Amino acid sequence: MSRSKSLAILATLSLCLSACSSVGGAGGLNSPYNLVRAGQVINVGSGAMSVTAPRNWNRTERSLFTDVRWVEDWTLNGPLLDQLSFVAGLPHDKRLVRQEHKADRQVPKFRRDMTAPEVAALIETLYRVEGGSLDFRTVQLAPRSFLAAPGFQLDFEHLGGDEVWRRGRAVGAVIDGKLYLMMVDAARSHYFAQVLPDFEAMAVSAVRRR
Amino acid sequence: MLAGAGAALVAAPASARIRPGSMQPLIGPGYKPVDTDEKGLWAQMERVEEEVAGSNLLIKDPELNRYLQGLIGRVGGPAAKDMRIYLARVPEFNAMMFPTGFTVFFSGLLLRMRDEAQLAGVIAHEASHFLLKHQIRSWRDMKRKTNIFAALAMAAGVAGGATGTYTGDLVRLAELGTMLTLFRYSRQLEAESDALGLKLIADAGYSPISMSETWDQLITELEWSARERRKRVRRDFSLFSTHPAPRERLRDLDLSAREYAVAGKSYERGRERYLQALQPIRQTLFEDQVRLNDPGASQYIVETLAKDGWNGQLLFTRGEIHRLRNGQAHQQAAALNYAQAVTYPDAPADAWRWHGVMLMKQGREAEGRTALQRYLAMAPNAPDAPFVRQMIQS
Repeated sequence: MSRSKSLAILATLSLCLSACSSVGGAGGLNSPYNLVRAGQVINVGSGAMSVTAPRNWNRTERSLFTDVRWVEDWTLNGPLLDQLSFVAGLPHDKRLVRQEHKADRQVPKFRRDMTAPEVAALIETLYRVEGGSLDFRTVQLAPRSFLAAPGFQLDFEHLGGDEVWRRGRAVGAVIDGKLYLMMVDAARSHYFAQVLPDFEAMAVSAVRRR
Repeated sequence: MLAGAGAALVAAPASARIRPGSMQPLIGPGYKPVDTDEKGLWAQMERVEEEVAGSNLLIKDPELNRYLQGLIGRVGGPAAKDMRIYLARVPEFNAMMFPTGFTVFFSGLLLRMRDEAQLAGVIAHEASHFLLKHQIRSWRDMKRKTNIFAALAMAAGVAGGATGTYTGDLVRLAELGTMLTLFRYSRQLEAESDALGLKLIADAGYSPISMSETWDQLITELEWSARERRKRVRRDFSLFSTHPAPRERLRDLDLSAREYAVAGKSYERGRERYLQALQPIRQTLFEDQVRLNDPGASQYIVETLAKDGWNGQLLFTRGEIHRLRNGQAHQQAAALNYAQAVTYPDAPADAWRWHGVMLMKQGREAEGRTALQRYLAMAPNAPDAPFVRQMIQS
């Protein structure tokens, strides 16, 4: 029942879809971040979706070995406080995170026929298994169009093992059997309100490239 | 009491079973530390208790907490009135006793107990660590011979409570790391607590066999969980390294129960009372477990609880276990379980929602809509109601 990976992530007290193991180098040559400038159009993940940042953000460098190529993370104040994740065209039978093949607790694979409640449940399991959330509450699941397709908006709150309440929003759609998703997650006090307008602006700016 | 103390302190060979009748508590009511090192330990632990008592992770339901406190009162021996119990929302099969007489139970343990007798057994086992002053004894032992292996295990965050498994996030995150050594009881101390615990519950009128059942459930759950992932049960836990070998401990508990039980006396299980006390949070506990997607463990839990009879809640939970698994066969199994679950009057609203979603996916849209409508009727304020309404209309 040891979950070394989830514990390693817990040690940083935050959920990162992609590598945040290198977090700690605060800027400089060893920084795990690349600057995203305001107004810049960025192709995220494997490039199947682009967004325009309304202000400067930090894009987390990805690793070939630990990351899923359709997924990438950004942060404004650091991953303990806020985190923005993009899922650009995750195909059928793939996972949102890389996990040990024999891990006791596993995030399910995405399936092309998943409905919004199933994708919402997938996100919840991700938080519980990989993020160490001990309480996860769905605030709302409602219809919303994303990338000009019928999709959903999931609002949620979760309590981590660090006893901090975080709030999140995911906006997504399954298009041609692939999952397109943007998700923001930030400390409930102050930080969520700070990053939400950016998230909304980027969701509106999002374009599907393939 | 002195004779008991002597008996308890003699190091028995690992294989010798300790007879419940030979165990006596080493402390009386209102115990306070006397020696300097123990006073220091208590001072530290009082701060830890403050932190635990203020934790966001506690389940605060007053009635349930009164119920748990009442059980300590019944099986806590001479310290029944001194001990405190905290219930933390952590989906793990564990509980731990702190040296000052407070204990933390994880909600995952409550989910797995079939009745009050099983829970009383774990409480009595934990209480026995306190009654036998195990923490201070183990602390002194540790200081006397610094054990490199213990230090390594500590660094890896391996610690054991009642069951000797992973202790979950609470301990880790309440920064109790340095204190974890205290809970790594030796085989000898665990065997003592098993013996005294068994005596305490039997004397209180609970079926003493419940303790070996609980232990069997823990071992088998680990086996099912590992088998599902096609691997061996991990051997590097304190459970398997420092504790009495699991099967041996199970055998000893079983033998002791048969030996100590008075022939012809009827012992109680308290199943109805237990289920009633747990009712307000039981659905949440199932969710906390199942959504970890550890299907072997979850499946074992559901089937163990179903030994007392299947119902809508258990069938729904079995559906949830399948739904989170990969592969079409599991999706079909999930749909089947939801369909069965909703034939029971106790099926939760969520069972109707998933039953409806599965029907819609199978192209049985009219039936699916009806099920979703039933869901909304049962849970009109459900957070996903806006999306479900759209599914019904489309």
